[in-house]
Amino acid sequence: MSSNQLTLAPAPPSEAAEQVRLEVRQFLAEELAAGTFTTHVDTWLSGVDPDFSRKLGARGWLGMTWPREYGGHERTAMERYAVTEELLAAGAPVAAHWIADRQSGPNLLRYGTEAQRKEILPRIAAGECYFVIGMSEPDSGSDLASIRTRAARNADGDFVVNGAKVWTSNAHHSHYGIVLVRTGPPGEGPRGKHQGLTQLLVDLSLPGITVNPIRILDGGHHFNEVVFDDVVVPGDMLLGTEGAGWHQVTAELAFERSGPERFLSTWPLLAEFGRRAAATGDPAQLATLGRLSARALALRQLSLRIAAALDRGELPDIPAALVKDVGTTFEQDVVDEVRRVVDVPASLDSPDPLGRALAEAQLHAPGYTLRGGTNEILRGIVARGLGLR
Amino acid sequence: MSDQDLVVETVRDILTGHEPLLLTADRPWDEGLWADLAEAGLTGVGLPEEAGGSGGELADAVAVVRTLAAGAGAVPVAEQLLVAAPALLAADLDLPSPEEPLTVAVDGAVTAEPSDDGDGPGRFTLTGTAVDVPWAGVAQHVAVLASPPAGIEGAVLAVVDTAGLAASRAVNLAGEPRGSLVLDGVGVPGALLSPAQAQLVRARLALARAVQVSAALEQVLAWTVQYAGERQQFGRPLGRFQAIQMELAEMAGEVTSTAALVDAAVQALDRGEDTVVLAAAAAKVRAGSAVEVVAKRAHQVHGAIGFTQEYRLHHLTRRCWSWRDEGGNELVWSRALGAGLVAGGGDDLWPALTRVV
Repeated sequence: MSSNQLTLAPAPPSEAAEQVRLEVRQFLAEELAAGTFTTHVDTWLSGVDPDFSRKLGARGWLGMTWPREYGGHERTAMERYAVTEELLAAGAPVAAHWIADRQSGPNLLRYGTEAQRKEILPRIAAGECYFVIGMSEPDSGSDLASIRTRAARNADGDFVVNGAKVWTSNAHHSHYGIVLVRTGPPGEGPRGKHQGLTQLLVDLSLPGITVNPIRILDGGHHFNEVVFDDVVVPGDMLLGTEGAGWHQVTAELAFERSGPERFLSTWPLLAEFGRRAAATGDPAQLATLGRLSARALALRQLSLRIAAALDRGELPDIPAALVKDVGTTFEQDVVDEVRRVVDVPASLDSPDPLGRALAEAQLHAPGYTLRGGTNEILRGIVARGLGLR
Repeated sequence: MSDQDLVVETVRDILTGHEPLLLTADRPWDEGLWADLAEAGLTGVGLPEEAGGSGGELADAVAVVRTLAAGAGAVPVAEQLLVAAPALLAADLDLPSPEEPLTVAVDGAVTAEPSDDGDGPGRFTLTGTAVDVPWAGVAQHVAVLASPPAGIEGAVLAVVDTAGLAASRAVNLAGEPRGSLVLDGVGVPGALLSPAQAQLVRARLALARAVQVSAALEQVLAWTVQYAGERQQFGRPLGRFQAIQMELAEMAGEVTSTAALVDAAVQALDRGEDTVVLAAAAAKVRAGSAVEVVAKRAHQVHGAIGFTQEYRLHHLTRRCWSWRDEGGNELVWSRALGAGLVAGGGDDLWPALTRVV
């Protein structure tokens, strides 16, 4: 197996990561005790709290791996991994900055102009500037290269954008989007549609942008439709190379898919279930807790390996696809497995915290295996790693 | 080339002369393979030279075990290198010669009483029946984990020479001997173990089986990918069909997850961490549940040929179906893991989890 593209070397132990892990754990315990947040499931989608994001920024826990000249802290991906893991395990409100810190910032670092980096990255690292992902459209989901949002240069060299993006998490709280648009015609052949795509850095306050809410199953407003109607995006807001959008978006997806949020979205439910199993001592509950924990432990090892690969300068897109497939399946299975061994109805109004956690996790569950690439798409990538495609 | 690469290459070279056997009552193990491994010093890898071993690290011993598991080698190497010999060494007991197969018995009803048979201190009399003994009737020595004398906690670990002992014939799903040994008041060297030390012996056996499962499943995946690339239906290789790709990708997820956790548990054992029992428990549970998916999908993709003794697949799938049961199945170890993770209180599941590996 070591010769295939799926297996990464084990992560070396990182004392610095364990140190910052304890610092974050202490901080979270204090914030919980002070009541500044309460634990919820899937808070990297639903927990928007700019004050909390700014606190993380002030402690140096955003933009952790970026160069200091851009507001970063030049720490390792392993240290960043420990920080994100602790935040997710606590169900902390991290949604405001999550996309910016995870993928938009790294994308800007890689492809942005010096002016773009200087202007935006320090604000992301401070927890003050939030991003959305501008990929999916009403008619383009898994077939991302079929997008129809267009941008054409006007006489001033600016881009005039028309079209719509959907499932745009927290656009109503965000400042910028990295928007994938078609700027040129597709080429010939099956991969020809990858040509002519471009990423633009779009200020969401520009005239002509309308943000329409789309409510998810629990009634929460996180998703949006973002409509672009003759939006004039300055020419210097081109991100990277015109026509290289597909290549850039693939790199961005490697960041999007590689983190611990791909198996920890329902951890707060498992934590609540752990309390229950400890209190009852019920053998069936303890066995379920052990079985789920064994899966979580394996996923941690895989995710740590990805963080270590990022530290080596690799972009492990195929292993990341595998971990996201296995991890998001686990997130859904947590709901099913827990409810089999407790007689607690899932309800957002439950007097029992376990009932509330079950309800939150269940109502968010369909999203786990869709967002950031469906598991069918991911398994196709894994199959490519196995040499089948 | 690392030390482990060299070890793996040596074992593979030896395996090329020993195709997997269909085990029977007349041929319960691969004696020729054992002889070749012993001659090359591979049955003492990871054991210190001063104790009669070949030297090397735990990682080297794991590499030997993985390679033999993937090759369906019918020899008691996992039991010897990863369980019995290290347990005896940890208890300050003398090792038999690594060239003589040594196994381990942790199940059954065997009691140990201190004996004064004139052979000095550290002698015990064992009485009872050890059950599900790997390679019973094949191994020349057994490290037996026995109940301690009344009033003492923990266990007694004793070394039994099997010469003259009757072994009942019982085999696992792959035909590997798993019979019982009747111990009728035999006087043997032994040592008292604390409850934690006794549990570590059990954890070693669980982890050894998890290592074997992990390696075997990697091989099963590789065979299945290869088969899907070669077998043509409807004018194209099976692997071109999306339905088959989904099955293989799911297998890869299970195999990769298992390998990562098993590696981490082996490292925890190597570092002597006090969480090693929980790490081994998690590895065994993860490996066992991977068998469900990987063996099922592998047989599905292989079709009817994989369901026959003519084809190689069964050598590994049958072993995996048994290895997941042996040394404690998923139920046993998932309860132990769940209880262990909340032993300090139900509020600390996450910190407890991050300490395991």
